[in-house]
Amino acid sequence: MKDQAYYDSIGFRCGLEIHQRLKTERKLFCQCLNSESSKPLGIKIQRVQRAVAGETGKLDRSTSFESNKNRTFIYNTFQDNVCLVDIDEEPPHELNREALMISLVISASLNAIAPSEIEPMRKEVVDGSDPSAFQRTMLVGYNGNLQIGERTISIPTIFLEEESCGIESSDNSTAVYDVDRLGVPLVEIDTDPEIKNPIEAKEVASKIGMMLRLTHKVQRGIGSIRQDVNISIRGGERVEIKGMQDLDAMDTIIDREIERQLALIEIKKVILEKRGKVHAPQELTDIFAKTQIGVIKSSAGKVYGIRLENFAGVIGMELNPDRRLGSEISDYAKMAGVRGIIHSDEDLSKYGFSESELAEVRQKLSLADGDAFIIVSAKDDDIARKAINLAKYRAEHALVGIPPETRAADSKNMITRFMRPLPGGSRMYPETDAKPVAIEEKLLKSAKKDIVDIDKSSKQLEELIGNKQLASQMLKSYKFQTFNSIISNVKIEPLTVAAILLEKMKELKRQGILVDEISDSTLIYIFGKYAKKEITKAGIEEIIKNAPLDSKDVDRIIVEKEIGRLGAYELKKLVAQYNGLGKKEIIGKVMSEHRLNVDAEELMEVIAKM
Amino acid sequence: MYSKEMESLFGKTGVGVGDTVEISSENGNFEGVIMPRPEIGDLSILVLKLKSGYNIGIRLDLIKEISLVNKGKREFAFPQSDAKLKKDLATIGMIYTGGTIGSKVDYVTGGVHMLIKPGELLHEVPELSDIANIEINQPMAIASEDMTHVEWGKIAHETAKMLNKGMRGVVITHGTDTMHYSSAALSFMLDNLNAPVVFTGAQRSSDRGSSDAFMNLICAARVATSSDVAEVGICMHETSSDDSCSFIRGTKVRKMHTSKRDAFKAINNVPICKVSRDGKIEYLSKHREIVEEETKKVIANTKFEEKVAIVKAYPNSDPDIVDYYATKGYKGLIIEGTGLGHAPVSPSSSKGSWIGPIKRAVDMGMVVGMTSQCLYGRVNENVYRNLRLLHDAGVIYCEDMLPEVAYVKLGFLLGNHSVHAAKELLGVNIKGEITERSEVLF
Repeated sequence: MKDQAYYDSIGFRCGLEIHQRLKTERKLFCQCLNSESSKPLGIKIQRVQRAVAGETGKLDRSTSFESNKNRTFIYNTFQDNVCLVDIDEEPPHELNREALMISLVISASLNAIAPSEIEPMRKEVVDGSDPSAFQRTMLVGYNGNLQIGERTISIPTIFLEEESCGIESSDNSTAVYDVDRLGVPLVEIDTDPEIKNPIEAKEVASKIGMMLRLTHKVQRGIGSIRQDVNISIRGGERVEIKGMQDLDAMDTIIDREIERQLALIEIKKVILEKRGKVHAPQELTDIFAKTQIGVIKSSAGKVYGIRLENFAGVIGMELNPDRRLGSEISDYAKMAGVRGIIHSDEDLSKYGFSESELAEVRQKLSLADGDAFIIVSAKDDDIARKAINLAKYRAEHALVGIPPETRAADSKNMITRFMRPLPGGSRMYPETDAKPVAIEEKLLKSAKKDIVDIDKSSKQLEELIGNKQLASQMLKSYKFQTFNSIISNVKIEPLTVAAILLEKMKELKRQGILVDEISDSTLIYIFGKYAKKEITKAGIEEIIKNAPLDSKDVDRIIVEKEIGRLGAYELKKLVAQYNGLGKKEIIGKVMSEHRLNVDAEELMEVIAKM
Repeated sequence: MYSKEMESLFGKTGVGVGDTVEISSENGNFEGVIMPRPEIGDLSILVLKLKSGYNIGIRLDLIKEISLVNKGKREFAFPQSDAKLKKDLATIGMIYTGGTIGSKVDYVTGGVHMLIKPGELLHEVPELSDIANIEINQPMAIASEDMTHVEWGKIAHETAKMLNKGMRGVVITHGTDTMHYSSAALSFMLDNLNAPVVFTGAQRSSDRGSSDAFMNLICAARVATSSDVAEVGICMHETSSDDSCSFIRGTKVRKMHTSKRDAFKAINNVPICKVSRDGKIEYLSKHREIVEEETKKVIANTKFEEKVAIVKAYPNSDPDIVDYYATKGYKGLIIEGTGLGHAPVSPSSSKGSWIGPIKRAVDMGMVVGMTSQCLYGRVNENVYRNLRLLHDAGVIYCEDMLPEVAYVKLGFLLGNHSVHAAKELLGVNIKGEITERSEVLF
């Protein structure tokens, strides 16, 4: 790991945006259920959206880029959790009070101040993830902070907003969304960009996550919490990384992103020194009329190229493992709907360029030594033009440095990938269909009663479980809510539950068993069986290993695998069979044959009494 | 509107809506733009737009100091498109009357502005520049619920004028609530029509990216430009999807949903045609077609008898309402009856019978028409004795005509014809409002 001096030297700045879905009965602005399961209705709605000018009359940078794409959106509807409000066919209902209350508790737990009145806003989104083309969002807290050891991290804003649709599939012309998730209440917590290094980023994310879980009012499981990370370094621009689901990978991905940004600044220096220049696009269609180049031939349409003066060698410079400036230019061109670009820092022989084609390209683009070029092709002239212009935009930005972008975390390759240009600020306007909500003292007082105190809670948990390490692991785990519901429903040693949830289940998960899909109610049933002495501890593990669907499935497993616990009478009978053998031998014999059915302690008691 | 106390603070500090200000308050300091106050809730809460774009409310008593940073710009301008209308395309007229479509809210001043320049319209709906050459006129800016027959007359005259200038068709943008009253009115008012007259509107405002206004305008312009229909109709979303619109006869259409995009449905009828977003027109029913060599000018007969009303018959209803209208000098009355066209005639209390009041009204010279609140289906005066009693009392049974259409028709008839002629014509088809056959429709 690099030291703090390194991060200080590059002017590392980092802030987090944490999004957490709330566990409410209903959605934020309608009476649809906020449930994890949903039944498809089979009705599909097809929509087209466009960027419209916001309050200031200017088109937002990000939204106008999206509308370039000219896509159709298909929305899948569901029985209990999609209504006309969700598909933009009915005005919103009243703001969900339960969600408001939870957001105020979270806000108060971060020492934030609530506004006198909450003003619902529309935040424009044109990627189709909301059928209304905007997300309802409101500021519920400001000027908060979070203590991390000696450090105080500012939390300038906390928002309550609607979750977007889940994407089912997407290509250049169509995106298909599931509307069931839309409108689920979500809290967004933003920190100031004062996080000093990637490890601290991870600590802040982890502590906020812990606080959220301690409210016991948040959804659990994959996707219910999302960390977006904003990063910049000296001489660069803010880049937003979305979808940092896996906290364990966070610091590595941030370090890789820093590498990428440093490389882009280096590239800028090189190009400026070389006096690089990006020229206007030229049509090259005629040159490739009879081409044998597969990628151009298969698109059988228009070809455009750009001269990149003095760029030779630069496009191929590496940013991240196997990612070059060329890859980034290609990412932009792809937004128009092409499959990629061809550039002259690649091995052009692999495409099958003929000598004459290369010569003609060089002539048409007026290429000189030290120059580079980019080519795009598409069947549709519109797409080809858009693609070459987007590529030009990105190439020109190489002279500026780091383009402000929204990028996605790729935790498989531990890097970030381009999603879209970073949205500007002009895409908010008031939600005129929803009333402002005055925040009365009474409401704030009641929120303060439920404030989360992490230190206090962690001490309590430590006492409850009786194991410091497991307690601290539990606080960080999304199993925490499950743990609570088990110990509040079943009379059982908390340590037993904690050990199975955190250690045993993790181990089974690693073996590829879908233990996360076992519902809380099924787990309560299993631990209940144990508490009633119907199964043993080893029996619990055996049942979990079989990932039961429900309580009936648990009963089935107990019968089929013969893991019912032996009662005192049967145990005595069993031990009596080995009369004459030593204690250790008896234990060994019984346990090897009836490992799942016998509780070791009880066995010892029985033997001791003999 | 802010409270007097807030306005007085604004006055003292020289700030107002639209200005960028710095506020120091008990709960922190803010910089932002003062937004207009929605006319609900506590009017002493200041709404401030922060740099992030979010608005927050700050209670007056928490404000310690407020100071001006920048005076706001008060003019409002829509973005304009560089695209030019193509003169070689067919010219159509576009009449703006108001409503959700074609208007935008200026969130800084709170004012509503209409898009009246072609450049503004093309910026919103660039597709139009490939469909038609458009001339825009805005004779009024009125919400649909505020429309009266005076506006219907203005729109009819404007339409006739445009068509007599040789335009290929006319698109009329209109608030959706009463659009079907206006489409019925124009159907009756315009004679010698030889071009499509297409009403359209929006259920979701055009300042959201998901607005239905865009496709409705595109499809309406396509009907006006390239359909062979010589009738008045309404062109709106066919379903909830943005793929096609229905063009429905102006006398057979009704708003059947408060908020959905496909609120307008053909009742007791099939839409004239279906228009896809990309311009395919599929004719679905017989209609009056454009005659190429026609030379007659379009005439707008816009007289309308105001003393016509609709009443609804329902359990426990008080028939005195009929006497009320009769004594107020009303000349026509449309009853929205139950089922096949019933009103109570022999309830347990004789006070509840409509027979006497109806007889008296008819004797006073009032034209009384019967329609059904079922909307779907045809009234029939012969099936039950009670129906015959009403018929004998002088009630005219209006076949499968919608109550609202019957109302508009009666006002039109009494405005332009004798009472005798109005009685004769009410139950007879003039502009497609009555069908002879009840087609088997599913």
